[in-house]
Amino acid sequence: MMLFPLVTLIAFGAAVLYSAAGGSMQPYAQSHLIRFAVFLVMAAIMTRFTREWVKFLAYPIYAVVLILLIAVEAIGAIGGGSQRWLNLGFIVLQPSELMKPAIVLALARFYDTLPPGMTGTWRAIVPAGLLLAAPVCLVLLQPDLGTSLALVFGGVVVMFLAGLPLRWFVLGAVGAAIAAPLAFFFGLQEYQQRRVFTFLDPESDPLGSGYHITQSKIAIGSGGLSGKGFNEGSQSHLNYLPEPHTDFVFSTMAEEWGLIGGLVVIGIFVLILGWGLRVARRSTDRFASLLAAGMVATIFFYVVINLMMVMGLAPVVGIPLPFMSHGGSSMLTNMLCIGALMMINRWNHGQRGRTFSS
Amino acid sequence: MTSMTYSTAISSGRAQLVDFRQRTLAVARLRVLLVAAMFVVIALAAVARIGFLGLSDRTTRTTSLEEALLPSRGEITDRNGVPLARAFPAYALWFNPEALGDTGSPLVQDAASVAAQLKQIFPEMDEADVAARLASGKAGYLRRRVLPEQANKVQALGELALEMPKENDRHYPQGTMAAHVLGYVAADGKGRVGMEQVLDDQLSDPARRATPSALSIDMRAQGALEDELRRGMLSTNAMGAAGIVLDVDTGEVLALASLPEFDPNRIDADGEKYMFNRVTNQVYELGSTFKPLTVAAAIDAGVVRDFGKRYNAHPVKVGRFSLKDSHFLGDTLNVPETLIHSSNTVTARIADELGPERMRRVMMDLGMNDRPAIELPARGFPIWPGEKWPRLRNMTVSYGHGIAVTPLHLASAYAAMVNGGIFRPATMHRIKPGEAPRGTRVFKSSTSSRMRQLLRMIAVYGTGRNADAPGFRVGGKTGSAEKPGAGGYRRSSLVSTFAAAFPMDRPRYVIIAMLDEPKGTTASSFQRTAAWNAAPIVGRLVPRIGPILGVRPDDTRDVDMSDLEPLVGGGA
Repeated sequence: MMLFPLVTLIAFGAAVLYSAAGGSMQPYAQSHLIRFAVFLVMAAIMTRFTREWVKFLAYPIYAVVLILLIAVEAIGAIGGGSQRWLNLGFIVLQPSELMKPAIVLALARFYDTLPPGMTGTWRAIVPAGLLLAAPVCLVLLQPDLGTSLALVFGGVVVMFLAGLPLRWFVLGAVGAAIAAPLAFFFGLQEYQQRRVFTFLDPESDPLGSGYHITQSKIAIGSGGLSGKGFNEGSQSHLNYLPEPHTDFVFSTMAEEWGLIGGLVVIGIFVLILGWGLRVARRSTDRFASLLAAGMVATIFFYVVINLMMVMGLAPVVGIPLPFMSHGGSSMLTNMLCIGALMMINRWNHGQRGRTFSS
Repeated sequence: MTSMTYSTAISSGRAQLVDFRQRTLAVARLRVLLVAAMFVVIALAAVARIGFLGLSDRTTRTTSLEEALLPSRGEITDRNGVPLARAFPAYALWFNPEALGDTGSPLVQDAASVAAQLKQIFPEMDEADVAARLASGKAGYLRRRVLPEQANKVQALGELALEMPKENDRHYPQGTMAAHVLGYVAADGKGRVGMEQVLDDQLSDPARRATPSALSIDMRAQGALEDELRRGMLSTNAMGAAGIVLDVDTGEVLALASLPEFDPNRIDADGEKYMFNRVTNQVYELGSTFKPLTVAAAIDAGVVRDFGKRYNAHPVKVGRFSLKDSHFLGDTLNVPETLIHSSNTVTARIADELGPERMRRVMMDLGMNDRPAIELPARGFPIWPGEKWPRLRNMTVSYGHGIAVTPLHLASAYAAMVNGGIFRPATMHRIKPGEAPRGTRVFKSSTSSRMRQLLRMIAVYGTGRNADAPGFRVGGKTGSAEKPGAGGYRRSSLVSTFAAAFPMDRPRYVIIAMLDEPKGTTASSFQRTAAWNAAPIVGRLVPRIGPILGVRPDDTRDVDMSDLEPLVGGGA
């Protein structure tokens, strides 16, 4: 039953992209819809996988994606300069995106095999930590801070739900609080530092580095309660708003549909994520429950960081809004997450009989 | 230790295992709830934020490309459309040490030679100072105003670090003229002091700034007034001067000047010292110029009916005070003689007959108890005697002491006295024909006619003779008041005023000319009183502005004074 809000959101996203292209299906809206159709078929196929099959594939999938990540690094090192994409000829692949569901899958599998009595021991944290650290380090090298944070978030949520002692997380949070300033001043690139400063005070340089946030806030603010009307947004049409079809698609939408449109979008996300959490709670076995929750967390991280970014509550990190932003990689990741949730939903229902509906 | 725990868990009984499973499950449930709660909190924060952004107008701005075609700030013109203040796209000279983009020297040539070449373009530039600033490598203005041909020359130097950003400047093409009326635009883009401040919204509003704002000022009359006041001020070594030309029927201010002036094109410490507007902001005891107002109030109230009646002109004793004239004017005087010779004693006796309450009423009707009625931001509050006037205060007010008002108050009061008796607020805005405010009646029309005769007689036979420009039928009253200082009035420092109107047969304009602390010089025949310094200013000014303002000299016209002339013996 969750397909209805999802399709609504995709259609709404297409309408916004139609407007962002200046009132035309090309180049954004059409490919958006086609991609959704293709990935929906993919998700439907995923639902056919059995629990054992998925458990068996978890580590191989993780390994393959990790190898792809290393390949990206290697090609970048040989070609000179950093690279995030892998051109396989027929598709431009961004392995760091694939890693988001893959890491959740691998960790869920790991805690599934770990006997419950050992959750408080070092055996619960060290192998999982290595599983998480390897891709995070590779992505940081690219360098892509946003995606590595997304990986950490997905992984930590799975660990948290796996029942690791709470004090570890508290210690981890304290450690992060201490490490963050050090990492900020010694670890970040100058452009990344500037983004953080800009986030803290966007008006300090409204035409330079604060431009994105300022224009985005103007777009959201100028929408008012009911918006300027479909195809009437001046911020996006006159190119004041940067990236009106990807990262700042929410601002484009909010300018034309106003507060009401924003609330509708957030409401639909609440429906989808709430459905995902219900799927996680209904799962009887540990693997399915962790996998579902991890997938929800991954989508959630996209949504939250993107919304906070366009509203000026978080630094500009270049994370698109799921199901609305134009872009193949993020659509693929999010549809993989949705596919996994649908699959687990089917497992849940399958136990009570063969009647499933998704 | 870990393996120990493990083995105990395995070896524990079944009941323990069930208990353990339940606890783990409870922990898992709790944690799912925690994660869900975090999701909800963040979603609520996002909703709150979008609501704040969407519903507050803080980030909403309406901008239009059309604005680029408009002047950055609206033009101010005089009543005939002569520009007084206009937006002026100017160049500035800015030193940008990072223009070359590398870490080397910001200049191609060395700083000293660049400074020398700049000195050739701008001869008044301080070469050493500029060289030091170029060498320091700090960004900054080298000069705020650069003419286009100078900009071209600087460009030809080939120094990328010398940038010429376009800036919107305010230019006052008439220089210092009407500086107190116009004010200036400060560095923050807001108007200050004069109409620039009053009209700030209108001048910066995109919808309205395209059309120039016309003031009531007539640039030609303004120039003449400033010229004559300056001449009067310099020839008598006065510390300041003030003047105003007012249309008696509409309240429009045709000229308003306060000297010394400032230059709105160049605001510096000297300029700020002179921004004080003597016409609207400074209150003075204006002395004998109040006598006609007292007489008018007395005529209006029916206290003065017989112009031949003779009043005792000896000093008036009130309690321990004695009010005297400046010199002996005769044992008795009638009303026309009182004004012609400017007698304090008779005016005080007339005011005494009128009574303080009626006197106070007329002064209030003339607006003497409040700031002057005009748009300018700097308006002084009068020193007003308050509610209940004692007998002595009533008498001193009658000849302009114990009450201090601005010259503008006096101008508006004189306008009401000669225009038929209607008081109107003064305005700096041009009023279209037929749109003058109705005003309020203060004097009867008949009283006003009498006052025209009497004021004209002062200029013909009395202290105002130096103001009587031939053919212009000037009438007016002198006033020379001692300025109050520490411990009483100072005999040596005067404020001398001439309050005039012309032409008296059908008054059109009121003129106030005032000198602050004039000294006795050869030009004023070593006199310090208004008859010798302020009155001549009006006498020279009227022939200059009369024809411009539509009053031609005409010897065949004059106000009919035949019924009063016999009373003053055909002259004093």
